[in-house]
Amino acid sequence: MKSLTYLFLACALFVCTTASTQSRIPTAVVRQLTIEPGVGIHTNFGTDFLLTNLVQWNPTKRFSLASHTSFNLNNIYQRDVNYVKTNYNYSINQKFGAGTTFYSKKSSHTALLMIGFKYTAFKETLHNPDLDPVSVTINGFSPDYGLMYSYKKGLKKCFFTFRTYIPLYPWPVKGSNIDYIDGNRDSIAVELGIGLKIK
Amino acid sequence: MTVILGIIVMALVLSVLLSSCEEEIFNPALTRTFTIESPSIGVTYPIQVALPENYNTSGEKFSTIYVLDGDQDFDLVANTCKSLSDRYGAPNVIVVSIGYGRDRSIDYTPTKTGSSTGGAPEFLEFITSELIPKIEQDYNVETTRESRTILGHSYGGLFGAYAFAVNNSVFGNYIMLSPSLWFDDEVSMILEKQNRVDNKDVSQLVFMGIGEAENTGKMQAPFEAYYQILHDNYSDMSLSKNREDDLSHMGSKDPNIVKGLNYYFQNR
Repeated sequence: MKSLTYLFLACALFVCTTASTQSRIPTAVVRQLTIEPGVGIHTNFGTDFLLTNLVQWNPTKRFSLASHTSFNLNNIYQRDVNYVKTNYNYSINQKFGAGTTFYSKKSSHTALLMIGFKYTAFKETLHNPDLDPVSVTINGFSPDYGLMYSYKKGLKKCFFTFRTYIPLYPWPVKGSNIDYIDGNRDSIAVELGIGLKIK
Repeated sequence: MTVILGIIVMALVLSVLLSSCEEEIFNPALTRTFTIESPSIGVTYPIQVALPENYNTSGEKFSTIYVLDGDQDFDLVANTCKSLSDRYGAPNVIVVSIGYGRDRSIDYTPTKTGSSTGGAPEFLEFITSELIPKIEQDYNVETTRESRTILGHSYGGLFGAYAFAVNNSVFGNYIMLSPSLWFDDEVSMILEKQNRVDNKDVSQLVFMGIGEAENTGKMQAPFEAYYQILHDNYSDMSLSKNREDDLSHMGSKDPNIVKGLNYYFQNR
């Protein structure tokens, strides 16, 4: 709980500091409502392929609300190894968040605290000819929360967008070794896309 | 300015995550350390031994738990055994941690698929013929198969499955966590099948643990298949499995160690 407090203090500090530095904002980079489809990978050696979308609404210049959806095809390069076949392996994440946006001449930066859920589904089958075939299916929902950074570059209606998401679930880290955050570390998302200014 | 602030926030997040990773050291007064050189392998292994608090006063003989990857897991296993012993009012055990002498991927894998695999046969021989005799000579421990447990994670779990199949007379209890049963086309499962007739009527305890989020395409199906094989063919076995919700290969390790030891203390 102490750690969580430190984390929120750090985020609050981040938000206050960045917001206070924004005195002259070029109006062209201020967008009220955007849709930003993109593609991405997780940092588990790039074996997951992500189709994502961010919808961001700024009721004020600096206050941001967002919805992030991600469909992930997981482990796409290792679908049949050592007689273990992956029948399917995907996950869907839906998160909502709030944060702040700050601006430079041709770009904007948004930091968001996100919370939502993740649905995971995968099935593996052992088909070793010397053993009886066995399949295992795992489907389930889990919480998903973390920090998202979104970068938008461009002054026109269409713009370039980049974002990254650091998951903080499972929390706290269950273990005595930094390697034990492998689940979080391998699920860091890096995404690129084209944004569309709606309003 | 933006980049600097971003770095500061990331650093803070990382420091918060790291601050959660605190490890409790096992009581040094009850810890013995020594090295043992294996003439057959030509490697020296660091060994740590955790003694029960009543070791010197009780006069009883204790069961043993041999821990692979001992450099990482000794403190957790020793502390957990103490707390479980207290909780259940059960006799504590002597924890024997086997540290790294050479690459773990050599020692823990049963067959040679590359330059750094395939040393399990000689490593098992080292444990059987060199380490266990020394422990049983130097400490007040039980000398029966039923009193010995082996605990391993990943390749260590694979080594447990290998020992179970090819020399079932050494250990009576197996705690296999996220075992790499996929290794070399499930060779450890083939070995189990080949030796099943000799092993299936022997009393033994097996706990298998894995992380639910281990979806790298090779962990879950062999894990489930191995569990089904043990369940269907070993009538005199105390068998349990656990999937840790939402945790991955390394993240599930410590929770599964605790649950595996819990199962052992309740069912041995």
